[in-house]
Amino acid sequence: MLTRKTTWHFTFVSLIIGFMLAIQFQTSHEPDVRDTRDIWEIRQDLKKEQELHKQLLQEIRKYEETLEKYEQQRSENKGAILRQTVEELKKEAGLTEVVGEGVVLYVEQMYDESYVGPLSDTVSAELLRRLMNELNMYGAQYVSIADQRIVNTTVIRDINGVTKVDSYPLHSFPFEIKVIAVDAEKMYNRLKASTIADDFALENLLLTISEPQQRVVIPPYDGTVRVKQMEAVEDARR
Amino acid sequence: MMWLPLLGLVIGILLGLLTDWRIPSEYANYLSIAVLAAFDTLIGGIRAHLQNIYDEHVFVSGFFFNIILATSLAFLGVHLGVDLYLAAVFAFGVRLFQNIAVIRRILLTKWLESRQKNRL
Repeated sequence: MLTRKTTWHFTFVSLIIGFMLAIQFQTSHEPDVRDTRDIWEIRQDLKKEQELHKQLLQEIRKYEETLEKYEQQRSENKGAILRQTVEELKKEAGLTEVVGEGVVLYVEQMYDESYVGPLSDTVSAELLRRLMNELNMYGAQYVSIADQRIVNTTVIRDINGVTKVDSYPLHSFPFEIKVIAVDAEKMYNRLKASTIADDFALENLLLTISEPQQRVVIPPYDGTVRVKQMEAVEDARR
Repeated sequence: MMWLPLLGLVIGILLGLLTDWRIPSEYANYLSIAVLAAFDTLIGGIRAHLQNIYDEHVFVSGFFFNIILATSLAFLGVHLGVDLYLAAVFAFGVRLFQNIAVIRRILLTKWLESRQKNRL
């Protein structure tokens, strides 16, 4: 029958088999993560998921609508978007009339009755530029000086003793400076608080600032826009 | 003395469960093949013993060699993209059944013989 040695061999082999079996069993039977939520928690989780579902559906609908709109636009009026862009660009460049909320500044001469001496019949370009900077700083969107629209390429300079805005001379007082701002009230308050009126007074000019007005009309730029230094961007696809 | 191998099996299982070892699931295939090979060797050993052709060297060497061969075959199969471990499963499975059948017949014959002896 079984010798002692053989028995030990069998025991050893079966020990190893048992060990491997146990490991294999443990490996393939990972304990399941038990769901210990009660019905309320499950309900809340379900609600959360449902909300997410709703949100996702809404998003899908939104994007589908957008897509549809684009498709429609593309098929209906290919030029419309282009025209709209052109309009926007024109507005940005100052080639359209603008109406909006803003303030009006009046500039007039201010001399004492007893004043004797040379009369200045223009406002210095330096001062006007300073005013422009100040207005831009206070959030001016559109500005015109004596009905001359200020655009990006506008120059304010002194030509033979006469200050000119672009090519329009400023020598008839009083003239108006119209400003359209995002927040006219704030603009007004800031101008009131600034020392720009004192600077005008030094040149014997009186700067009057109107109350914020609901409707300020600023005319379009009437010159031709010359584009000398700009070049079209090369098409990247070429 | 018959209970010693069984005790070994139980101790082995307990040891495995208590150590709480786990192998990565991608190696579970190899271990299953190894278990199958070990079982085959054990059953083969029992059969050989019952047929009185048992050799301890064959048994012990066969045990380790079969395990290593089966796992390396599975390993090769994974790297060749062929499920070679199925070949091992098939071979061991068939042999397992045959060996168990032989053991059953031997035991049955012995039992019938002993019953006849008792009757006589």
